[in-house]
Amino acid sequence: MAEGTALLEAGAMFAALALAGAGARRLGVSVIPLYVVAGILGNEYVAGAAGLPAIRDGEFVTVVAELGIVFLLFFLGLEFSIDRLLEGRDRMTRAGLLDLGVNFPVGVAIGFLVGWSPIEAFVLGGVVYISSSAVITKSLIDLGWIANAESEPMLGTLVFEDLAIALYLAVLSAVVLGGGDLASAATNVGVAMGFLLVLVAGVAKGEVLFERYLRVDSNELFVIRAVAVTTLVAGAALALGVSEAVAAFFIGMGFSSTDHVEKLERLLVPLRDTFAAVFFFWIGLTTDPRLVAGTVGLLAVAVVATTPTKLLTGYLTGARIYGLDARRSTRVACGMVTRGEFSLIIAALVGGAASPVLSETIPAFAVGYVLVMSILGTLLMQSADALARFAPGS
Amino acid sequence: MTVYEADLPGVGKKFEVELEGESRLVIVIHNTGKRELFIRPEEGADSEKLFELSDRLARQVGTIMEGAYFQPIRTETIDTVLADDTLIEWAKVQSGSSLAGKTLAEARLRQELGVSVIAIQRGEETLTNPGAETEIHAGDTLVVLGSQAACRELDSVVGEDAGIDG
Repeated sequence: MAEGTALLEAGAMFAALALAGAGARRLGVSVIPLYVVAGILGNEYVAGAAGLPAIRDGEFVTVVAELGIVFLLFFLGLEFSIDRLLEGRDRMTRAGLLDLGVNFPVGVAIGFLVGWSPIEAFVLGGVVYISSSAVITKSLIDLGWIANAESEPMLGTLVFEDLAIALYLAVLSAVVLGGGDLASAATNVGVAMGFLLVLVAGVAKGEVLFERYLRVDSNELFVIRAVAVTTLVAGAALALGVSEAVAAFFIGMGFSSTDHVEKLERLLVPLRDTFAAVFFFWIGLTTDPRLVAGTVGLLAVAVVATTPTKLLTGYLTGARIYGLDARRSTRVACGMVTRGEFSLIIAALVGGAASPVLSETIPAFAVGYVLVMSILGTLLMQSADALARFAPGS
Repeated sequence: MTVYEADLPGVGKKFEVELEGESRLVIVIHNTGKRELFIRPEEGADSEKLFELSDRLARQVGTIMEGAYFQPIRTETIDTVLADDTLIEWAKVQSGSSLAGKTLAEARLRQELGVSVIAIQRGEETLTNPGAETEIHAGDTLVVLGSQAACRELDSVVGEDAGIDG
């Protein structure tokens, strides 16, 4: 193919994303599943098989998708100033532990049930455990619940989950990318932990440095500097076999206690949203729908098993830990069902592993699972008030 | 009156202001700068969204709510408070004002009132940093810097049949 076609492909990709976004708005669902669907429709297995020009899973798309992961996690870190974390940590911790203690083991149990290895089951646990911060937060704002009492347990649980996932990704990437035997896995965990320790120490002690680094009187230089440090550290982490997402998380955390938070949010959010959209598209691009169809049995079991558990933990969090009435607790319950970006990030991380379960089944499963759960979650949130009539104590 | 503040991780901050009875005004400030206003009629009720404002508009509305423009603003003047008592004011020179036709030196605004003319808007044109020999025309808008009291006095000078002496 001629040189110019890469640009044309990028253009086609963004046009597909724009169309998917418009479709999501019209249907009143989250954009994430539709971005993924757009990727599936445009890939070699679908468009290619139909004889249409397919978008290749080329280097450009892959790198931008990686930037998507990096910036998603960077923004997650940005939300975690230590002060904020310490505020209201008691209830947040109890809610988070309840959520983790019920939903993670269910995924692991399903993994063992279908005869997977402990690592594979551990990955499945992560995929079904983590709710989607992006979709849930956006729905909270769209439904106007953000000003109500139910937003606190939901956002609190999400904060706990986000911290848990940063830790989880760190361990997972060390174990999975470390190869088969225990010794090399241990070495990798050691290297990863060492790198992260250095990073955490830098974040904890380097507040002044972070502050000064971005103190520049030009939006252009500001953005470039922020992108430079985030990408460089994330890239270095990846080169060392550490999760780039976790590294980006810590960089975000480093900036969270500086005066630049608002400006970072204002100037980098468009960048994050563009990169993240490409990440979801790339997930679709690398998904063979036949593989997803092959996991349909597992998918059915997971949906049936993990929807009620999230509803249960969400309801208990609202009613018991935050003392809300039945209607608001039902909203919390329905709100936590949606799974999204983090399930896909976990699946993307293990996609390069040697075991076929990790490299094929779980990524395909995750795509199907996120498609179902993000749409089911959005619908549940919209009908939460009707469902509240069936809630205990109402 | 009590104001309750809460963090909304990933979104921004929420402020709840107690109003009469049980009702509360809920203000959500998004990290992006957007402000959303809700009213909650009573404890346990859902918040009803009133409206949303951009960061810039919210600041302007906030200044008005704060009472920074305590006196009703006349159409021909606009103030910008700099610090403490100093403000920048726009004052339109009426056709009957004694200032019309005088140069800045003759008008003696700095000496008599203590206000400095930092610019003159004349139609589409803006004369920045005008000199002592610059003539004031009827219809000009003077952009002046001075104390609040001095700027108020200026209002009487730019009007009809008014001058510093009169």
